[in-house]
Amino acid sequence: MAYQFQFLPSAGKWLAALACLVVVSALTQSLPAAEKLTVYSGRAERLIKPVLDEFTAKTGVQVDLLSSGTTELVNRLKAEGDRTPADLFLTNDAGSLEQARVAGILRPLNMREVDRAIPPQFRAPDNAWIGLSGRFWIIVYNKTLVKPQDLKSLLDLGDPKWKGKIAIPNAGSEYLQAGVSVIRATYGDGKTKEFLEGLRDNAEAQVYQKSSQIVEAVAKGQASLGIVNHYYVYRHLAAQPAAPVAVFMPDQQDGGMGAIMNVAGVGIVKSTKHLDTAKLLVEFLVAQAGQKLFADLDKEYPLHPDVKADPALVERKSFRAAQVPLTRLAELREPTLTLIEQVGLR
Amino acid sequence: MITTRAQLTSPLQVVTLASAVLILLPLAYVTSQALSADSAVWSRLWTTRIPELLTNTVRLSASVAGLTLVLGVSTAWLVTRVEFPGRRLWEVALVLPLAMPTYVLAYIYSYLLGFGGPAEHLWQLIAGPQGRIFSPHSYLGATLVMTLDTFPFVYLLSRSALLNMNVSFEEVSRASGISRMKTLWLVTLPLMRPSIAAGLALVILYVVSDFGAVSLLRYQTLTYAVFQQMTGRSDNTAASILSLLLVGLALLFLVTERWFRHRSRFYQTTGRYRRAERHRYGWLGTSVITGYLMVVVGASFALPAWLLLAWSFSPEAQTTIDSRFFGFLWNSGFLAACAATGGVLIGVPLAYMANRRPNWLNVGCLQAAYAGYVLPGPVAALAVLVLCLNATPFLYGSVFVLIVAYVIHFLPAGLQSLEPALQQITPNLEEVARTLGLGVRQTWQRVTLPLMRNGFIVAWVLIFLQTMKELPATLLLRPVGFDTLAIRVWMEASEEYYRLAAPSALLIVLLGLPTLLLLLSKDWRAA
Repeated sequence: MAYQFQFLPSAGKWLAALACLVVVSALTQSLPAAEKLTVYSGRAERLIKPVLDEFTAKTGVQVDLLSSGTTELVNRLKAEGDRTPADLFLTNDAGSLEQARVAGILRPLNMREVDRAIPPQFRAPDNAWIGLSGRFWIIVYNKTLVKPQDLKSLLDLGDPKWKGKIAIPNAGSEYLQAGVSVIRATYGDGKTKEFLEGLRDNAEAQVYQKSSQIVEAVAKGQASLGIVNHYYVYRHLAAQPAAPVAVFMPDQQDGGMGAIMNVAGVGIVKSTKHLDTAKLLVEFLVAQAGQKLFADLDKEYPLHPDVKADPALVERKSFRAAQVPLTRLAELREPTLTLIEQVGLR
Repeated sequence: MITTRAQLTSPLQVVTLASAVLILLPLAYVTSQALSADSAVWSRLWTTRIPELLTNTVRLSASVAGLTLVLGVSTAWLVTRVEFPGRRLWEVALVLPLAMPTYVLAYIYSYLLGFGGPAEHLWQLIAGPQGRIFSPHSYLGATLVMTLDTFPFVYLLSRSALLNMNVSFEEVSRASGISRMKTLWLVTLPLMRPSIAAGLALVILYVVSDFGAVSLLRYQTLTYAVFQQMTGRSDNTAASILSLLLVGLALLFLVTERWFRHRSRFYQTTGRYRRAERHRYGWLGTSVITGYLMVVVGASFALPAWLLLAWSFSPEAQTTIDSRFFGFLWNSGFLAACAATGGVLIGVPLAYMANRRPNWLNVGCLQAAYAGYVLPGPVAALAVLVLCLNATPFLYGSVFVLIVAYVIHFLPAGLQSLEPALQQITPNLEEVARTLGLGVRQTWQRVTLPLMRNGFIVAWVLIFLQTMKELPATLLLRPVGFDTLAIRVWMEASEEYYRLAAPSALLIVLLGLPTLLLLLSKDWRAA
């Protein structure tokens, strides 16, 4: 415990004593131990903690997992600069990772293990961040309310026939931002805006903070369909196999843009004092055993070519992904945010 | 004498000024950031977000004000003007909802009224399997939760107005042959007007600055939008602009409340005080009254508290009570203790100087300290954050920043009890001590501080308890991973893990109960 202390209040002076403690404890953050890593994570705790626990079990290295919002963490890393306690930054959006790289927060890496395990399109050119697992932005639908043949493209969800039937993530969601960036890069601002306006009107009040809530709402029939990352659906199904939800892989029609892909990834923070231990964690995450954890626990698509995804998932070879390079997500982001705000998504 | 006073006051003077600067600087930074923002950002916000956010905020305030008016005044009238069994118990029970932070009540109602929740099941028994009730994640839901949480403000103020009112006015009216109902309309209510208005302004101030309920019920208000802008974007310009609007709005209601509260003094009892006679109704009237109060207290406190208890003892929730849970409890307590101590340490010199040397500088400093009233949590967080990034980036991400935000935010609550404590000490006592040979410091230690002790303790406890349940500033400024009870409630509840959120929520409610005792005894403004 970083903030634990003991003191005996002596009459009349306890106020001053406590005041000193405020300052002292505020300034002394946890002391760095030799075999300990601090990870800033923008991923939901329950998705990443089991993987890190496995790492600790295997290597004996303690991992301090500090979870928060992705954008918040990038802002925080920028502000903390060299003072940051973080050794690694782990998050769920390539755009944010690339932004962190451009801001000079992350450290370029030269590791053979990485080059061998992860295909180059899923990492930064200098390996400052490395993709760990793939996820697709898909349509989740309630099987009793919607037939899959009624669905084709994400962009159709702006159609008024879905009014009041769609659940969407809120405007601060990095998945939504990345998804909209890909649509903009593929179809241009005009069409994207039209789509977003339709989506805004159709969703009405069903704008959620968490993807798990969207799946929940669709499963209960509160919404007929929703837009989420695929693994939230499979995780829901793993817990409740009878839930009437299914995944629709959108935009696979001829000439369609393909499903929107993003990766969760990791980067080593430039100022880390535990470079070797940090590299050990990266190595663990990209190796077959680590990749298998993402596949089994989180129902994501492992990026290591030799590791199979969970058999419940849509076969990866059976669908196309959109052709927008992950590294472009960073530069696309600011204008995307402006567009989202113009449309007035919540 | 004068020179020794000066010896004491000069370092205090410095402290006072420094505190005022510390409080005002963040606000100034945000204001300047908002005003210096690119006009394109302003116009974009005006055409997109601001109209919706302003309408939503005003609409919610208006409906909550209307409903709390009815609930607050009617309950206050019942417990002061009618005699029925258990009256004294109800008198206390009607304050209990103030112990429920809005986010706790909001999460309970999103379960109760939620899709497929118990309320809907009940309704489906009547309306058939397709029956739907209104969604709690809406304007109606937010109105309901905020009303249930804030009506005690109006109740408390109306109650004290009714208790202190000179009953002769009513008696004259009755003696002139005017019916009971008409007397209520023509005499009693008009006399209560200033108190009611002050209560309503307080309610609106509370609604405008609430973050917990609107975020869990996903109802877009200005306060919620500031938070979303801060967490979703990499620059704070838009957040600053929205904050500035919010501060303006809050200021408006604070001034209104002050004005009415000032006026209300003229209406207080003069001459002989006598208790108003309490009317007794028959068994029917009595059971209607009891039923009404049961519904109000049940919906706003008893039912939610019972659910929290039941959930807390569910096996699911029991698994969360481990060493981590006590870590969160420790974090909450640690932060609250620091904030309370900091608040008292800063508050005492401010209040002392303004009362002992009431020149424009010291009074101005004290007024500045009340700025926290118009800084909703996310705005206080933003203000401190902006200041910290510009002036002391090395402090970013430490608990220190968070504590500064708490102190700014809650100092007014502390000052409310420090100020009267100081005013009651006559300077003569200090002067006597000096003439009897005590030094400056000794006078402070042996006369002034002991006399102020009660005010100290009340202020400390108030800030401590407020900080325990604070949510938005904690969310925005805490060191990464440094979770408190309030954060755990919010995080579990926002993923609809109702049971897992219950133990922390229950603890917060229990810890809030002592505040109510203080409230009932004197300081009704504190919660």
